[in-house]
Amino acid sequence: MTSPSATAPDTRPLGSAAAGTPSGTRRGTEFEGTVTVLARQAVADDVVSLELAASSGEPLPVWQPGAHIDVVLPTGATRQYSLCGPVGDTAHWRVAVLREPDGRGGSQWIHDHVEEGGELRVRGPRNNFPLRPATRYLFVGGGIGITPLLPMIAEADAAMAEWSLLYGGRTRSSMAFLPELEGHGERVAVRPQDEHGLLDLAGFLGDPDPSTLVYCCGPAGLIDAVEAHCADWPTGALNIERFAAAAVRQPADDTAEQPIEVELRASGTTVTVPPGLSVLKAVEQAGVPVLSSCEEGICGSCETSVLEGEVDHRDSLLTEDERAANDTMLICVSRARGGRLVLDL
Amino acid sequence: MTLTQHVRNGWYLGAWSDEIGRTLKQRWITDIPVCFYRLPDQTVTAVEDRCPHRKYPLSLGHLDDDGTLQCDYHGYRFDGQGVCVGVAEQADRPKAALRRFPLVERDGAIWIWPGDPELADESLLPDTSWLTDPNWTHVHGVVPLKARHMLLLENLLDLTHETFLHPTSIGNAAVAATPIDVTVDGDRVGFSRRMIGIEAPPFYEKSCGLTSPVDRWQDGDFYPPGIFVLNIRVAATGTEEPDGFHMKVLYGMTPGRGNETHDFYALGRDYLIDDQELTKFQHEQQLAVMQEDVDALEAQEIMYATDPGGTAESSIKSDLAALRGRRAVAKMLAREQRAQQDARIPHSRASV
Repeated sequence: MTSPSATAPDTRPLGSAAAGTPSGTRRGTEFEGTVTVLARQAVADDVVSLELAASSGEPLPVWQPGAHIDVVLPTGATRQYSLCGPVGDTAHWRVAVLREPDGRGGSQWIHDHVEEGGELRVRGPRNNFPLRPATRYLFVGGGIGITPLLPMIAEADAAMAEWSLLYGGRTRSSMAFLPELEGHGERVAVRPQDEHGLLDLAGFLGDPDPSTLVYCCGPAGLIDAVEAHCADWPTGALNIERFAAAAVRQPADDTAEQPIEVELRASGTTVTVPPGLSVLKAVEQAGVPVLSSCEEGICGSCETSVLEGEVDHRDSLLTEDERAANDTMLICVSRARGGRLVLDL
Repeated sequence: MTLTQHVRNGWYLGAWSDEIGRTLKQRWITDIPVCFYRLPDQTVTAVEDRCPHRKYPLSLGHLDDDGTLQCDYHGYRFDGQGVCVGVAEQADRPKAALRRFPLVERDGAIWIWPGDPELADESLLPDTSWLTDPNWTHVHGVVPLKARHMLLLENLLDLTHETFLHPTSIGNAAVAATPIDVTVDGDRVGFSRRMIGIEAPPFYEKSCGLTSPVDRWQDGDFYPPGIFVLNIRVAATGTEEPDGFHMKVLYGMTPGRGNETHDFYALGRDYLIDDQELTKFQHEQQLAVMQEDVDALEAQEIMYATDPGGTAESSIKSDLAALRGRRAVAKMLAREQRAQQDARIPHSRASV
């Protein structure tokens, strides 16, 4: 049987790579450029699907099930959307966007401003959710989380693997792509909450089975429930994709966040940093120049010497020894334990 | 273009044992020209490749059967301890001696300490016993690289690049998609990536005769400033340790002259150790993968060397081990520069 493959089938005969010769043309794995919206279609309540093609007319890079693209908004912010059209189609990409009023505004902008014939700036594709070979798959989709699962289902089906899908949502009218899934008959269980209540995960997932992989995408509550159910499954059996990346280190309780006083000794000024604002942003707002890049506590660009005060380290970069020394901090994410810091800025 | 400053108080792989014999071999290490050779009793020796007289390279001289090294410009002669034993021009011996470097020869590798000899500490070397273990077999060599040592270090500490740069051999989507755990022990940086139930990349499919799904482990250890050891385990999914195929790759990232680096490698395995065909295949693949890296790093070097600066690099979570490696080297360099301000390193005779 042909296994579904998470990698591009770009393999030369093995051992033919002559030592010392550079490999030939590399696969262009990433595209960055402008795409034209060929079609915009309402596919469910608050969900539009967009069909995209490179504005230059060139073919788009190949991708594999689970891949997503970045849509670059006019503000420069990016939003990730799973590709959900046919895998082999290099002329068009399809994404589906749910309008999220509580989101950060990206989906709203797309809903309000993107029209047929319009253009979008995109990057990608990238795949953090690859479909691995297996003889049996269980797919669990919640709401707009169905999107990465559609090409996976097509791939599993083409590979003659055994598979079934449990698809949940608030109401039938909120669930996208139902017509496309109808053709699969009994393999697809559509379970809108207003008709069926909570998803019967236990009944669908059953007992751990070494030949089965579970793929789940949807809201956090659904993923948490599936994770809890699969806790005893073999490592690697459960594969999930959350809509938003979890923060590096979040304080356990945002409501307990206190404002802190930060004295910038070299500048002779003190700033108050309210909850929800980073020390970095407060320093920048005070007009004090400071280097920064990732703003996630990884890169170390904003590392700053601490002269007084106890640091609440929330970064990923510093070693335990460096944290314990309490003489440096990454001001993009870390804060103060005692409510006051003195920085060498 | 700025040249990188290199940590010198640390062990670097200076040469493989089979590279050094009763001839004079020059190799630049951390911007120091080094002349390697063996004395009649086979002891390996390394001296600064500059004659104390007029700085002519001693490696262009010759070695007598009794181990005396002669500079072939004006005839200065040096004994096995690097002390000048005479010149043809006069009866008196010039007061001159060569700078000799601390060396450790172990398991077919020659390690060199280019900095302060007082600080040379053998306990800082990684375990290399697998290079001579009868249950293991390995191939080794060295590849020239026209790129600064830090770029090679970051290449090895962030293996997500395998997905994109080595898709026909050792990389597939699973590498980039699997996060790493990073550990730090003093200056040492380690990472581990556990890929479970993945598709076997072509090299491992062929090397181990495995069919997917497989478990693939990568455990890397960086011994700053210039040694990296990767422990690899590949096994059919669901197999218990110690079943499975084990490989190790040792990389000696030795800064040479300017922004050039000696890319030393040794690739070992603990299975089918008598299979010559497999050894040949693995060696070819290793060199092909390294060539892809060399091409990439040399292209990257040009961009770093010409970068006007002023733009912060973007970094992501998978950069964590590389960023920590970078910091570990930067700290060593800062320590060294502070120590140099306190006392100039004497460039005199060193006793090993």
